[in-house]
Amino acid sequence: MSVIVTLREAAKAYSGKPLLAVGNLTLAAGDLIVLTGDNGSGKTTFLKMLAGLEHGDRFALSFDGLEATARHYPHALRHAIVYVHQHPYLFNTSIIDNIRYGLRQRGTPPHDRERLVREAIAWAGIEPVLAVAPKRLSGGEKQKVALARARVLAPRVLLVDEPTANLDGQARAQVIELLRRTATGDNCVVVACHDRELMELEGARRWHLEGGRITEQS
Amino acid sequence: MSLLEATSEAFRRLFALDAELWTVVGISLKVSITALAIATPFAVALGFWVASNRFRGRRALILTLQGLLSFPTVVVGLILYLLLSRSGPLGPWHLLFTQDAMIAGQAIIAFPVLAAFTLAAVHGADPRLRETATSLGAGSLRSALTTLHEVRFAVIAAVLNGFGRVISEVGCSMMVGGNISGFTRNVPTAIALETSKGDFAQGIALGAVLMVFALLVTVLLGIVQSESGAK
Repeated sequence: MSVIVTLREAAKAYSGKPLLAVGNLTLAAGDLIVLTGDNGSGKTTFLKMLAGLEHGDRFALSFDGLEATARHYPHALRHAIVYVHQHPYLFNTSIIDNIRYGLRQRGTPPHDRERLVREAIAWAGIEPVLAVAPKRLSGGEKQKVALARARVLAPRVLLVDEPTANLDGQARAQVIELLRRTATGDNCVVVACHDRELMELEGARRWHLEGGRITEQS
Repeated sequence: MSLLEATSEAFRRLFALDAELWTVVGISLKVSITALAIATPFAVALGFWVASNRFRGRRALILTLQGLLSFPTVVVGLILYLLLSRSGPLGPWHLLFTQDAMIAGQAIIAFPVLAAFTLAAVHGADPRLRETATSLGAGSLRSALTTLHEVRFAVIAAVLNGFGRVISEVGCSMMVGGNISGFTRNVPTAIALETSKGDFAQGIALGAVLMVFALLVTVLLGIVQSESGAK
């Protein structure tokens, strides 16, 4: 499997107390990585650092000739690494506009854009809620829209934070199924979670974050 | 003339489309809307910038903006008068007693309202909003525009509040406009003048127009707030 991202270091402390001291990790094409760890162990901070949304004290990441550091996160890297919040924020427009948003930022031509949006809507199975205001969607529906919005960009690395937290029943099962289908052969998906069913997804690698360090578990 | 007679005469003039009365209303609208159009982009940009950045003196700047919300308009007029008067530093511009001077004064008065309201709206926006925009590939400018779009109802409310403040202010307009008939006489300065002359009908008619403006602003604010809640 070809390596997509090489993380040499990700370190961060809060009020002098070390939270993260992660080093030497690789994300390869085809990886589905489940990141576990106690609440407050730094899973969200780690994912946000990878996505360039939070600064670390020390940070060094390579992707396709691009180098990200604690001081500089290349904008082009944002087109390759996309982060989805635990409780996704949907813009106060239509669901279609939400899914279209990232494609517009990338300058995707309108014809291709609309085709990709239609495909993403079908992929996530959200046709029945397209006319609903984002604010009125349930937690599971918001999560599905957020996954469609991220997936439409075909990111090389997709970081998903606790996607099934606060979901139960059918919504949880649907989100897990979407995540399973999100991991294609040429991208990498990292899912932070406590969900046992996610941890046991076929082919998933399990990383455990404890004491600021990540260890791979079998 | 009794109050009832004056009111009756006021409405007669209003509906008879009294030229002098409606000229005053037109000047008021032109000056206030132009002042808002000039102040809004700068004030919104400043409000957004202050809300989004941490820098030395930020707290003092926020307190200053908040303090200026209740700054007496007549003092704005006084300062502007001193700047624009013949012996003032801006005297050579010959702006005193012109509509441009009134527009400048009202833009200054509206500025802190617009900036402070925008600042509060952006500061109160969900932090996931900018993270989401950024992670989906928006650059700094696009991310800023997305944020402003998300808080658009609060920004519209800021503009309406700013309009409410400038359309009814009398102190600054009187001082730098000079209340010249057909040129710098707006609704508030005309009401002050007509009342002092004893032409209560004209004062009441103009007061009614001002109250309609205030009512319109209130109704629009209500619509904006209900839209904001519904979305």
